[in-house]
Amino acid sequence: MTTTTSPVYYARRFNEYMSELWRRRDFIWFLAKGNIKARNASTFLGLVWWVLNPLLLGLVYFFVFGLIFPTQRDIAYLLSGMFVFHFSSQSLSGGASSILQNSKLLVNIRFPRLILPIAFLLESTFGFLASLVVFYLIVIPFTDVLPGPEIALLLVVLPLQILFNVGLAAATARLAVPFRDINNLIPYLNRIWLYLSPIIWPLSLINSQSETIQMLLRLNPMFPIIAVYRTALLGYPLEQIDLLATVAWCLAVGIIGIAMFIKYEGKMVRYL
Amino acid sequence: MSLPAIRVDHVSVRFRPYVDRRPTLRRSLATFRHKETQLVDALKGVSFEVEKGEAFGIVGQNGAGKSTLLRVMARTLRPDEGRVVIRGRMSTLLQLGVGFNSELSGSRNIYLGGLVAGLTKKQVDERYDDIVAYSELGDAIYRPMKTYSSGMFSRLAFAVAMHLDPEILLLDEVLAVGDEGFREKSMTTMHDLLGRSGSIVFVSHAVRQLADFCDRAAWLDEGTVRALGEAEAVVDEYRAFVQRRRKEMRAQGLA
Repeated sequence: MTTTTSPVYYARRFNEYMSELWRRRDFIWFLAKGNIKARNASTFLGLVWWVLNPLLLGLVYFFVFGLIFPTQRDIAYLLSGMFVFHFSSQSLSGGASSILQNSKLLVNIRFPRLILPIAFLLESTFGFLASLVVFYLIVIPFTDVLPGPEIALLLVVLPLQILFNVGLAAATARLAVPFRDINNLIPYLNRIWLYLSPIIWPLSLINSQSETIQMLLRLNPMFPIIAVYRTALLGYPLEQIDLLATVAWCLAVGIIGIAMFIKYEGKMVRYL
Repeated sequence: MSLPAIRVDHVSVRFRPYVDRRPTLRRSLATFRHKETQLVDALKGVSFEVEKGEAFGIVGQNGAGKSTLLRVMARTLRPDEGRVVIRGRMSTLLQLGVGFNSELSGSRNIYLGGLVAGLTKKQVDERYDDIVAYSELGDAIYRPMKTYSSGMFSRLAFAVAMHLDPEILLLDEVLAVGDEGFREKSMTTMHDLLGRSGSIVFVSHAVRQLADFCDRAAWLDEGTVRALGEAEAVVDEYRAFVQRRRKEMRAQGLA
């Protein structure tokens, strides 16, 4: 027998909420699989677009910038950054749409709402893993990059980035469900975020900038996250500060985003 | 005397003006600046209890707050004031059709419906055959639900809801759909549930049917409980009111 009162919405405590999520892992898995199936059914290339989008974007920048700036002809540098960036930037819009697309479920049945952004993240994690395979398929024949022992670092940085992305998805869902104007801003935010991240410009570029600008650029969470990935994927030397900053950013964004979302979820149905 | 299955305790729900309009950034800045706080009350201090083994009906005109009340009882909408206490496992069949995804097959929707209600995959596996048999959908179960008739849709929805082993069932205008044979079967299932001391809350505009089925009822009018008690009496009172209103409107129209 279950006794539940409404004002305390889903659970009294954070850890109760989390264990409820875990209990419903079958549902999360089902939603993620269903989304992938739907994507495969509705577009000819289906899930391939998950890889193709950042790949094409990366190649466009490679040819445009590679021709203009001779400094930036490192395809491994560019594509690694682009794939990692894409994984997070997708989460900005994915969180809100996971809620809006499932409004029927939300109105009718009570369940921890965070399941929806988490299922989205699970789906996009598959896409990201596929893109890492594609990354090596492209990079190995054309450069001297080979996966080394550093690749084990993925086991640390990937879960951290997933937490970061869940936080982003949850926070934007929290904001964009009542204020749908925000959905229109997200593509521009993503574009600015891309330009501020070390992807299409080489790291050497910022070394020539003043210290203040360097500091500001390093405040971008994508900066340390991409740096750690480049150690894992390309064997770049690892700077401790980047690893620490990655851990700090991912924990902070993950926890704050999830907390914002849970606090709000009792009201969500009003805006669907 | 055992504790009630549902206790709705002074529940109030307010919506922002333009009831279902979402606040845009501009509008919310405007309300912030002008401290404009006129809200629309969807429910105003609603209280009642539903006992175990009882069928409880809710009647009222459009916009009286019935759907909002059901959402509050289903606990998908948090009230601004008051609280709802639920004792027992609840299954909901609200207006929009249990959150079925019509792009997916009936079969996958059985899983969706079961999982969203909190079953594990294994539990749905075990019940799957019974659900399909109960729904009488046969091979149509493999077709996308967008190809279903409304009767087929509600048969499947009902079959899933009843196989969640509910102790409490919330129904919104579903009994009207489905053919004669299926309606009879669903009635039997619901009487079984009541016999096991389950509770059913039933919202419908088919008030005659509601009065026959329910033990007690509440009449909801503009967000408040206008009458509460024995179903027959509440429905009679409500019908008398509706007829009076209609007559008044007609008189005004003629004047």
